[in-house]
Amino acid sequence: MKYVQRLLGLLPALLWLQQSFAQEIRVSGVVTSRSDAQRVPGAVIRIKGTAHGTQADADGKYVINANATDTLQVSFIGFQTALVPVGNNRVINIALESADSKLQEVVVTALGISREKKSLGYAVQELKSKDIAEARETNLVNALSGKIAGVQVTSSQGSLGSSRIVIRGETSIAGNNQPLFILDGIPVDNSQLGVGTGRDFANAISDVNPEDIASISVLKGPNAAALYGSRASNGVILIKTKTGKEVKGGLGVTVNSNATFDRVLILPDFQNVYGQGAGGQFSYKDGKGGGLNDGTDESWGPKMDGRLIPQFFSNGEAVPFVPHPNNVKDFYETGYTLNNGLAVGGSSEKIDYRFSYNNTKQVGILPNTGISRNTFTASNTFRIAPRLTLSTYANYIRSSADNLPGVDGRRGNSVTLQFIWFGRQVDVSKLRDYKNPDGTDYNWNHSYYSNPYWIQYENTVGQLRNRFFGNARLSYQILDWLTANLRIGTDYYQDRRKYKIAYYTNGTPFGSYTEDAYAVSETNGEFTLNAKKQLSRDFNLDVLVGGNIRNNRFEQNYQQAPKLAVKDVYTLNNSRDPLLSTSYFSRQRVYSSFGSAQLAFRNYAFLNITARNDWSSTLPVENNSYFYPSVNGSLVLSDALNIRSKALTLLKIRGGWAQVGKDTDPYQLINTYPFNQPFGPNPLLTVSDKFLAKDLKPEITSSTEVGLEAGFIDNRIRFDFTWYQSNSRNQILLADVSPTTGYLKKLMNAGEISNKGIEVMLGGTPVSTRSGFRWDVNVNYARNVSKVIELDKEGFLNNYVLGSTGNMQVLASKGQRYGALYGAAYQRDAQNRIIVNADGTPAIDPNKKILGYYTPKWTGGIYNTFTFKGISLGFLIDTKQGGSIYSGTNYTGNYTGVLATTLPGRDEEHGGLPYYRNGQQNIQLPSHTATAPNGAEVHHDGIIFDGYTADGKKNDVILGAEDYYKAVYNSSLNESAIYDASFIKLREIKLGYTLPKTLTDRWKLQSVNIALVARNLGYLQKHVPNIDPETAFNTGNGQGLETLQIPTTRSIGINLNVSF
Amino acid sequence: MKKLLIPTYLLFAIVLLASCRKELERINKNPNEPTTVQPDYLLSNGIKANVDTYWGPDAAMDGTLLYVQYWSKIQYTDADRYIAGATGTQTVWSNFYAQGIEDFTALAQLGDSLHNPNYKAIAVIMRSWIFQQLTDLYGDIPYKQAGQISQYLTPVYDSQKDVYTGLLAELKQAATSLTAGSNGIGGDILLGGNILRWKQFANGLRLRIALRIADREFATAKAVFDDVAAGGAAALLPKDTVVKLNYLASPNQNPVGRNRETRNDYRISKSIVDKLKALNDPRLPIYATMPKDTNVIIGVTNGLPSDSAARLGFTKTSDAGTVFTATTAPAILFSYAEQQFILAEAAQRNLIAGSAPALYNQAVTASFVQYGIPEASAVTYLTRSGVAYDATNFKKSIGEQKWLALFGQGIEAFTEWRRLDYPQLKAAYAGALGGNIPMRFKYPSSEQSLNGTNYKAAVARQGADLLTTKLWFDKF
Repeated sequence: MKYVQRLLGLLPALLWLQQSFAQEIRVSGVVTSRSDAQRVPGAVIRIKGTAHGTQADADGKYVINANATDTLQVSFIGFQTALVPVGNNRVINIALESADSKLQEVVVTALGISREKKSLGYAVQELKSKDIAEARETNLVNALSGKIAGVQVTSSQGSLGSSRIVIRGETSIAGNNQPLFILDGIPVDNSQLGVGTGRDFANAISDVNPEDIASISVLKGPNAAALYGSRASNGVILIKTKTGKEVKGGLGVTVNSNATFDRVLILPDFQNVYGQGAGGQFSYKDGKGGGLNDGTDESWGPKMDGRLIPQFFSNGEAVPFVPHPNNVKDFYETGYTLNNGLAVGGSSEKIDYRFSYNNTKQVGILPNTGISRNTFTASNTFRIAPRLTLSTYANYIRSSADNLPGVDGRRGNSVTLQFIWFGRQVDVSKLRDYKNPDGTDYNWNHSYYSNPYWIQYENTVGQLRNRFFGNARLSYQILDWLTANLRIGTDYYQDRRKYKIAYYTNGTPFGSYTEDAYAVSETNGEFTLNAKKQLSRDFNLDVLVGGNIRNNRFEQNYQQAPKLAVKDVYTLNNSRDPLLSTSYFSRQRVYSSFGSAQLAFRNYAFLNITARNDWSSTLPVENNSYFYPSVNGSLVLSDALNIRSKALTLLKIRGGWAQVGKDTDPYQLINTYPFNQPFGPNPLLTVSDKFLAKDLKPEITSSTEVGLEAGFIDNRIRFDFTWYQSNSRNQILLADVSPTTGYLKKLMNAGEISNKGIEVMLGGTPVSTRSGFRWDVNVNYARNVSKVIELDKEGFLNNYVLGSTGNMQVLASKGQRYGALYGAAYQRDAQNRIIVNADGTPAIDPNKKILGYYTPKWTGGIYNTFTFKGISLGFLIDTKQGGSIYSGTNYTGNYTGVLATTLPGRDEEHGGLPYYRNGQQNIQLPSHTATAPNGAEVHHDGIIFDGYTADGKKNDVILGAEDYYKAVYNSSLNESAIYDASFIKLREIKLGYTLPKTLTDRWKLQSVNIALVARNLGYLQKHVPNIDPETAFNTGNGQGLETLQIPTTRSIGINLNVSF
Repeated sequence: MKKLLIPTYLLFAIVLLASCRKELERINKNPNEPTTVQPDYLLSNGIKANVDTYWGPDAAMDGTLLYVQYWSKIQYTDADRYIAGATGTQTVWSNFYAQGIEDFTALAQLGDSLHNPNYKAIAVIMRSWIFQQLTDLYGDIPYKQAGQISQYLTPVYDSQKDVYTGLLAELKQAATSLTAGSNGIGGDILLGGNILRWKQFANGLRLRIALRIADREFATAKAVFDDVAAGGAAALLPKDTVVKLNYLASPNQNPVGRNRETRNDYRISKSIVDKLKALNDPRLPIYATMPKDTNVIIGVTNGLPSDSAARLGFTKTSDAGTVFTATTAPAILFSYAEQQFILAEAAQRNLIAGSAPALYNQAVTASFVQYGIPEASAVTYLTRSGVAYDATNFKKSIGEQKWLALFGQGIEAFTEWRRLDYPQLKAAYAGALGGNIPMRFKYPSSEQSLNGTNYKAAVARQGADLLTTKLWFDKF
């Protein structure tokens, strides 16, 4: 509160600073770029030989006082400096020639302020529209992968679904670690709603159409983002949309058309020797135990050598038992995405306008899955009066899906569970007609599964999302150096989902029907006052103060008919049992006031200060106000020391310190009593499992960073280095506690986590010939070291559970790197040898151990571009190194005997040992041809586990292959399923061609561009077998647990863009 | 315009500063759930939720019902081979503590604040019943510091001896403080608000615990029996009463019934079928169903490998009887039959005065009646060799008949089998414990990460955290 008064106190001082230059004349004009006639906001206009100058506004307009004898010196990054004598002109419009240099970039920073990159004391990286639109990622987040140092993207499984993005590692132990998305100055939601429902719904930012994006700035860490407050402590992704201003001439029409095809990238490597069954035996009768092991879904059955066995399709007749090597692969289809868009834009003296429409139809690789999306945008700028501008942006998106793929390996809605148990002899094409005449399903197994096509066509999940976001901004230039902005923005969507489980589905004989509806909204009202002032010859000051009110609302309504009364009718009325209903409503409000100031000295030394105070409804009244400042500076040494030369084009150092406060979710202060479903006429209320905290305090992240930027040899080599350190304390944790406390979770203000790291970017132009051939290469590298310093103040808690599956937990463990994979390990002796039980199986250590960390040690990417006369070829390789993954696909597939890795030892041919059974004991035989005493059956699938007995003897107990693999790979022993998740991936290849101007002119077109894009081409390095190590199941923090993922896809697409 | 905008800004700031705090607090009032609770709703919930756990898949079906060889598995046989999944023990632990101990602790406090000692006493009885299940299964458990999160974030484990003796004291106090006629209670879905019945149930639990510790703490046990005996006949359950939760139609169905709606993994164990057959016991056709394809009740051997179990055929083997698998089948917490078995053994061991054979005969007869078999059949049954009470080997007589009578009550039967060592059971055929049968549940692995220091102390005192570690009460 005091802070606001302080800020208000600043105002008169600013007013006082206004000076007049009565003896001079007033010159105004517009600065444009000669090459494309676009306006150049932020261009610097100076009186040559003096320090007197100004900057062009957001529309490229400037006003300056000058004498007739003066010469205007107009400069801007990326352009050659222009000199224009003033003379008697009152209006001087200046067209700048572009300089072939990436040195003096302008980047969009917090609150949409364009700043020269050299003036910033922190790292910012920007992607331009071409990079985003041509990459053709359906989930916007994926387009950032590998291109920006320190940005980690974990992309969706399959081709639909969610992607997770984290910048500079996880700073919050428990909370959201994803950055804040700001579109044209207004936050847009990126929630993933409905996590844990067995479907991987796409995160909300995937609604944004890449075609509408002009640029994306990534503000890393709190230093860059302090002005955005609470939610910016994990960084900010600033999205700037296209406007009509970019259109040349009066009217421009752009048509964009794109088609992308997706195929499965990685499937498990299956064995094709042994079929379904157990103990080597199988015979089908009813698929649920009526025949010989026909209820068993594992592949420990007979050899698939064509022997005659009754099978599911043969009506009891014995037919050849043969492998179907592609029975899983054949189930997946070619997915595709068709994207068609049209944009119309133009600009005139009074108005810039742009309308666009985009239609995306995406079909998944799983049968009967897909989503379609229609996007309408309107972006307008009205120059109402010389000093008054109104800009509006409106976006309406309608996404609808009839069916989305199921995840989490749930039996009713996911096929990936079934496929890791799929009998190797099963011919998937015989399952395509999935329904029997009586309406039940036709399948290879009826003990556990419904037909996979049944799951895809009958047990569907539909989604319909209607979303509107937009903003209106009124900008008034009060004085030449003082601008006021009022901005109102909203993001509102309704998301309705319908889950159908059909009658006769295995496990739910009556089926079920669920409707889950969400309404989410955020509105922001923001007022800012911006003063830009030349203080003296050497000093420039740019000050901004403002206030913001944010309102969030969330509503969920969930209703389920748990058992249908009548089959095939999906309404809530069609219910055998009482409906299961829940509803939830929440509200949140945050008031903020903020300010920033930049003081520039001779355009080479810059000092930036920001401060913000938030008042959040989610915190207790005593603690709900929190203040956090930041300071950073930069010094362009090459200019300050005047050592700029052809060899050294830029040398800049920068540094800063920042704090960001963070509140929590609504209703975390007072304990409540949740409802349970009534027991007959008796209503049920229970004590909540969560113990809340009355006296919660805001979470504070402090961060320091320093950096160095340099350019050499006419900027042919560019280098950017950042070191940062951040520390988050007073973290708001909903920590798992021992259930013996009476609660499962306790909300507390505890926890401290530190992140340290470096980011390096190296850019170069190794070749640039006169003929126009150019090779650019950009390399980025980031290393982040996180450490959980403290959990609770009292020291009771050593571990915070981020996620779990079975025994396996992902922890924030005190003193450790974030994201420890904690699970059951082999028991080892003093020499670290695995101890074996008396029965020959590996012993499990009664104490769980840390088996790895999902967080990578470092990430990086290399992007090469070759351009020659309108042709460009780019390819991106990126990598994550040093993380681990727990693979459910691998342990399950080894347990069930379907993976090729279960062949060793299964018979004589695969190195199995001969033995016979004596009661429960297996006795090894000297050779495969030896006979066993008393005519006992000789087995050839013996394996001896490589370990030692507790008393130090080499293990010699022989196990049958089935027993061996089941003993090593099961849910009680996690260590055997931990793999190195490191990879190097060929992420993207782009081949683009822009038709020559001579040709397009002849056709009266502005430009024609064709691009071929291939994504996720393959791995150059990968350690984990059978799966893609780079998979998200949701956007939460419990990563590193792979549970029966949908295979990721490789995609190839073509993009056509025509402007006329 | 210029004049207008600055005052707007000032106004904006002033409004912001003045109104924010109270407004913000109002916004953060949770509209979704109440912040206070009614005792009757809490009582109903506590009974339903915890009986579900007690009778449910983790404590009973995949645990004690298999260990004590009431049931066996014909599919997914790992649990029957003592290869315990990770989640079962966690669910039992989490549910009993976070739903049971906490709900009833809150109800006890409500009883105090509402000046209704009957609510408090019932809360303490139910909480004691839950603690008894927990210590029967795990041994040393957090007891004195449990369910008090504000004071104890990592509760200390108490020795099993301390838990049982603590429960005896709590139950005595609760039984004493119950007063019929005033302080009515609502939401009692177990005993319909019958205060006298609650008192009898509390006393029954006291006797159960007293006998449990009799091998270790005879004097303490004796004092309890004396005290209950002093209350006269009204202190104990009258003939043929059963403390049970009657389940309703879906979605409030019996957990076993819920399992049978969709799964077909369980069978009745060969061990109990063989015993019932050997004794020509009329409870056999009630405890077991007739398989579809045969006219003979066939039990399945415990702990077969998956392939050999599946090969037996779903339609050729018997499931447990519909009395147990029906949607509305009751879950039994305590019965007159069990009470008489306790008294029989107490008489045999001079904990009370009375005739052990007579009480034993009453117990067996009560079990027959409980399953709708006429008392007359019990008369002939009780004369058979192998049934007639044998004072020289009372553990065998009582152990076997109590085992038969407690069918379906996995936790209690498993505990009494450990204490009495009868019936003599053979370990699961392909058991994973080297020919041994489990003697307890393992602590859930989350205790290692969330309450590590106290967990380690408990393990150091009690013995390794293994299924085979014997508990304190299990002296022989």
